[in-house]
Amino acid sequence: MTKEYLPTIGIECHVQLCTKTKLFSEVDNDARLKEPNSCVSPVDYALPGMLPRLNSEAIRLSVLAGFALNAEINLESRFDRKHYFYPDLPKGYQITQMYHPIIGAGYVELPSGQKVRIEHAHLEEDAGKLSHEASYSLVDLNRAGTPLVEIVSQPDMHSAAEAREYTKELWRVMTYAGVTFGDLYNGNMRFDVNISVAETGSDQLGTRTEVKNLNSFRNVERVVEYEVKRQIELLEKGEKVIQETRGWNDATGETTGQRSKEEAADYRYMPEPDIPPVRLTEAEINEMRAEFPKMPKDYRADLTTVIGAGQTETLLDYQPLVQKLDELGDTKAVKKIANLFSSVLLAEENTSLLNDELPSKEQLLELVRMNDNKELSSTATKEVFLKFFDPEMHYKDTLTIAKELGVLQENDLGALEAIVDAVLAQPATKQAQDDFRSGQEKVLGFLVGQVMKESKGKANPSAVQDILRKKLQ
Amino acid sequence: MEVNQETIQHLAELSNFALSESESAGLQSNIQEILTYISELNQLDTEGIEPTYQVFEMENIWRPDEIMKQDASPDELLSLTETVEKHQIKVPKVL
Repeated sequence: MTKEYLPTIGIECHVQLCTKTKLFSEVDNDARLKEPNSCVSPVDYALPGMLPRLNSEAIRLSVLAGFALNAEINLESRFDRKHYFYPDLPKGYQITQMYHPIIGAGYVELPSGQKVRIEHAHLEEDAGKLSHEASYSLVDLNRAGTPLVEIVSQPDMHSAAEAREYTKELWRVMTYAGVTFGDLYNGNMRFDVNISVAETGSDQLGTRTEVKNLNSFRNVERVVEYEVKRQIELLEKGEKVIQETRGWNDATGETTGQRSKEEAADYRYMPEPDIPPVRLTEAEINEMRAEFPKMPKDYRADLTTVIGAGQTETLLDYQPLVQKLDELGDTKAVKKIANLFSSVLLAEENTSLLNDELPSKEQLLELVRMNDNKELSSTATKEVFLKFFDPEMHYKDTLTIAKELGVLQENDLGALEAIVDAVLAQPATKQAQDDFRSGQEKVLGFLVGQVMKESKGKANPSAVQDILRKKLQ
Repeated sequence: MEVNQETIQHLAELSNFALSESESAGLQSNIQEILTYISELNQLDTEGIEPTYQVFEMENIWRPDEIMKQDASPDELLSLTETVEKHQIKVPKVL
């Protein structure tokens, strides 16, 4: 008989903060598209006598990250040295917060409502980047000293799907809070995943393995799937899981054991004497809290009842879109605009528009009103919506754009009747009129088409139909 | 604490030093002497006392988040290293 196993997963996440300068030196923290070793200072090179100078903005962003994690902010935090010898950090130690982290216990609420507890989160400096050639390695110190918040979760997840959901929600709350650019491709958020399995019902956790440095939600999910399967297979064979760090191979979709020196790490933590403690006041923290933006879970509560869970989750990946929906205030408008966001903006050919400024609340509400009043057909509504992103049109009001596009529907019954009469007077439509009177419903379509043509597409087709039926009785 | 050759080898490994046997022996006695001297401090009762982070009682020493010109340019800094390739620091293979 097969045993049942319960996976247990804990995740550490490194979030690069979007400060202008590094954590301890006054050089550019944004090294994207820059030459290696071009954003560096004597502090990053650890030249003798160089002293770290703490970036106040990193403290502020850490506090915001703490709010995003529903966590307690520790009024006093301190820095420590974590020693290790590796070429990615010339000092020979990393400045981190081992004993007095700035962020205390908190939690992240997943879309399902499940809460993943956060043990703590601390501020530290990133290391440089190594690239490995066949017989040597190359060091780029652009990243050395970038501020990181490391978020340590409790082992509260029990499936690959939950692990993925957690990492994704973490990405959302961190980007909503504005503490990171959240560019996963460029390593703005990196995940270390701890995985173990134990027989269901066991009160002890199994031996865990750790897979470091994953930079996508999908890979977190794949790693957990792979490791859980591998560990269960070992246990089924009566073998043991070895506690180790394993590397993920994206191409093969497998993890492999890494015999690294780090296993026997001896970090010799000691207080960092170069950086005096950070002490915040309740008043400062309350001030920051007052300006803290809405989080995904706040929007989720409101949106799900209006547009359903599926569409809500899709749109929640785009903070500006849900912010805009929230601004609209009117349920019916939210529904229509949410549909336009999903069907037009998120369509593959238009995703570049997501970088542009969104239409104003007024433009959108007017668009909804005109669509409701049948002044704009659904096609015309989309057309006008797209024009909101045209730099030439962006500042114009909805009615003006609709007029310039010539897509206003003719709803004036008097004017429509005149067009219908003109069409019915054409000899070419005589046959169709007779056919309709003798009971051939479908020729009505032809007649509506003629009227539409005559109106240059601006007539409201359902109004035209009504008028035709009346006239052909 | 007794310092033996194992301790010295461990420390050497952590610091990435290759030590000859004679160096290793010399360090053993040197470090042993330093530790014995420092161990006088062990007479103090430090129960419940937080480690000292700094002695000036300063707090919140921080700077604004502004890019400043550095005393040494990136190229000057890079030129301090032994071997440069592709504008990077070439080091022995580490993985």
